[in-house]
Amino acid sequence: MDPIALQAGYDLLGDGRPETLWLGIGTILMLIGTFYFIARGWGVTDKEAREYYAITILVPGIASAAYLAMFFGIGVTEVELVSGEVLDIYYARYADWLFTTPLLLLDLALLAKVDRVTIGTLIGVDALMIVTGLIGALSHTPLARYSWWLFSTIAFLFVLYYLLTSLRSAAAERSEDVQSTFNTLTALVAVLWTAYPILWIVGTEGAGVVGLGVETLAFMVLDVTAKVGFGFVLLRSRAILGETEAPEPSAGADAQAAD
Amino acid sequence: MAHTDTEQPPALRTRSVVGLAVCLVTALAGIFVIPTLEGRAGFGPTFWGMAAMELLAMVGVAYFVLNLHEEPT
Repeated sequence: MDPIALQAGYDLLGDGRPETLWLGIGTILMLIGTFYFIARGWGVTDKEAREYYAITILVPGIASAAYLAMFFGIGVTEVELVSGEVLDIYYARYADWLFTTPLLLLDLALLAKVDRVTIGTLIGVDALMIVTGLIGALSHTPLARYSWWLFSTIAFLFVLYYLLTSLRSAAAERSEDVQSTFNTLTALVAVLWTAYPILWIVGTEGAGVVGLGVETLAFMVLDVTAKVGFGFVLLRSRAILGETEAPEPSAGADAQAAD
Repeated sequence: MAHTDTEQPPALRTRSVVGLAVCLVTALAGIFVIPTLEGRAGFGPTFWGMAAMELLAMVGVAYFVLNLHEEPT
């Protein structure tokens, strides 16, 4: 593979889309994550742990389906800008995010044990963030594109604010395991999710500083880390066990969470 | 609540398990079926149809996960 191919990808299907290399790798990594979580969660009987497993298995599961769809060119459209430039927009990516990002937040909300109104608000603002980002990606004028991007980014800042205030203070009332896991996952979400609007603005949907191949690679790395990495940290933690009867820290405790 | 060997695991609510399966199918349909129909329906209905199905599936998953187990009687 020459350096240019390393930058842009490799056209696996021969249809003129070098980004298929990254989409194919994304599909495989998401599938590995899904099956790992299924295997890990098989036979879990703890009530709360089951809820986390149900959510956390579905997240990379649907993401792998979205990556497979994009790999085969499903959910991609051309958007013609007023300048005459034509952009390839993978809108199936937004379908993935519309389903998965609220569920990642639901995991955090369950950890913090916040009320259902807070959960609903958080999920609603998150959905708004994704939908406005998608409208921006499909807009034809730079003003509209950047305006929707700004709207989406403001919604993201609200999500971050909720995480760092309401959810963090609720998590502070819970066990040390929960607090530690919650803080790790919140830091992961804050850092990774901040990279998305930056990548959008420098990628083909924004200023076009990086090409579609590099952009697809970066989104794939972010997606896999934000979903599989998140699930890995969450499901290894004892924090997902019911609080009342969670065992004292011991070598066997982690095994119980896993089994 | 943690389960010990002497207890029965909490019973799953059948309706919620079925609901989760339906949500999974809905999310997959939103990704694969709706964009495939783009040529017939046009981009607008495809785009909004896909978004609606993913949102519906996500809300369904949240609801059914929060109601995954039978309430103790």
